[in-house]
Amino acid sequence: MKRRQFLKSAAGIGAGLVAATAVAQETKKGHPKRGVSVYSYSQTLGVCMTLEDCFADIYDTGATCFELLTSHIENYPNPTTKWIDHYFGLCEKYHLEPAELGHWAETHLHRGPMMTDEQIVANLNRDFKLANLLGFHSLRTKITCINEYCDPEPGWQRYMEKALPLAEKYDVAMLSECHSPTTLTRQHISDYLEWADKHNTKHFGINVDFGTFQNAWPEDIYPPERRRWAGREYSKPEDIIKVLPYSRTCHAKFNFVDENFEERTIPYNKVLQIIVDQGWNGNLVSEYEGPRRDDPGYLGDQLRRHHILMQRILGY
Amino acid sequence: MVDNEYIQTRGFHNLFDKDRKCWGFQFGMRTKYYKGLWLSQFRTGNAIVDGVVHPKASLIWNIHGIDYTAEEMYDRMDQYWQVNEHVYVKVPKPGGLKQGYHEVAIEFGWVNNYNTATEKEYDGSGLGMMGPMSSMGGVEGAAPHRRLLLVW
Repeated sequence: MKRRQFLKSAAGIGAGLVAATAVAQETKKGHPKRGVSVYSYSQTLGVCMTLEDCFADIYDTGATCFELLTSHIENYPNPTTKWIDHYFGLCEKYHLEPAELGHWAETHLHRGPMMTDEQIVANLNRDFKLANLLGFHSLRTKITCINEYCDPEPGWQRYMEKALPLAEKYDVAMLSECHSPTTLTRQHISDYLEWADKHNTKHFGINVDFGTFQNAWPEDIYPPERRRWAGREYSKPEDIIKVLPYSRTCHAKFNFVDENFEERTIPYNKVLQIIVDQGWNGNLVSEYEGPRRDDPGYLGDQLRRHHILMQRILGY
Repeated sequence: MVDNEYIQTRGFHNLFDKDRKCWGFQFGMRTKYYKGLWLSQFRTGNAIVDGVVHPKASLIWNIHGIDYTAEEMYDRMDQYWQVNEHVYVKVPKPGGLKQGYHEVAIEFGWVNNYNTATEKEYDGSGLGMMGPMSSMGGVEGAAPHRRLLLVW
């Protein structure tokens, strides 16, 4: 299948998703898609796995979509046509659709003061075009922050206002991640939702990383050197309800799925049930953040367990 | 493909000029970070080899085949060092290193602005706020090091 044909089929799938949404709304049940973020392979990709190895692994989970980061694009920000063809070939071979591209809204690329809005927006526009070319409609946009709770650097509204028409032009939604230790009740999350409403846009919103719901740090999974965040504040599952209309993709973060296919640190049953009951049809991309991430066998086993867990809750 | 370590097995050897005179040595390294870096985000320190400190200003960083000093990298917002790409540190040392094992260490970090306070040293003189020696803005750990075997 050539790239144009692939994108047409992806658009067809997108239209199908719209139809599925209509059906889901009628039945009030969501049908989110199961996916995997290639971030999960950060310690194996390039060490003992190629991108194709990652796609083959993802295929075995039964996932139908994936997240890439700009870290995974050879010769970013200017991939060769040879690489782009290889990428679409992998999508076709492993029956995987692009879900989200993770990128960064850099504002301090040089010493001294913040970059100008024009510099920031030019870089964002470059990524919008690349995401569009590669078939993505969600971006996990990292906005410059000023602390570990990801409170944004003042001035974000200014350059985002300039970037928004370009995001809409290339049909890519900039989703700022709500990532632990940030909770969904943090003020800046509400500020982001208000900003999206003010601009009446579906191209700015939130990616909820499920690590924000983590409420347990079992000692067999978290030895002393990994207990830095133990006991921190976390989001309640129902906190996701107000955010879902502003999200196309969420990071299904997990730390350890046991042999009974239960996640030991995050209340998955509750979170996924809420998502389905709210009629959400976005992408759920697994993000493994547990131990032994440099062991492809262990990592692969955890990803498969995670998808069995989700399959049992979602029913597909 | 890369080694799992910060300092790589491949790329460790002496360096010779066009007259075959040994002027130094080099070793390979990577950040082990999940994100690539624009060169202007990279922060460098000293190389310490067999207990000898080779100062930051003397080091040459070879990225994508091009040599840079630390000062030159600060302005390169246009060069992207992708994840798992090797970079080579060239250390001037007349006569190079002798054949055998050597303890090699390199100080480095980087600037990223998405889960911590912004960089304190706006002139870039520090090691940024992230990296193997930093933990959320504080310089804590020892420089990444490795025992390497040099043949030539």
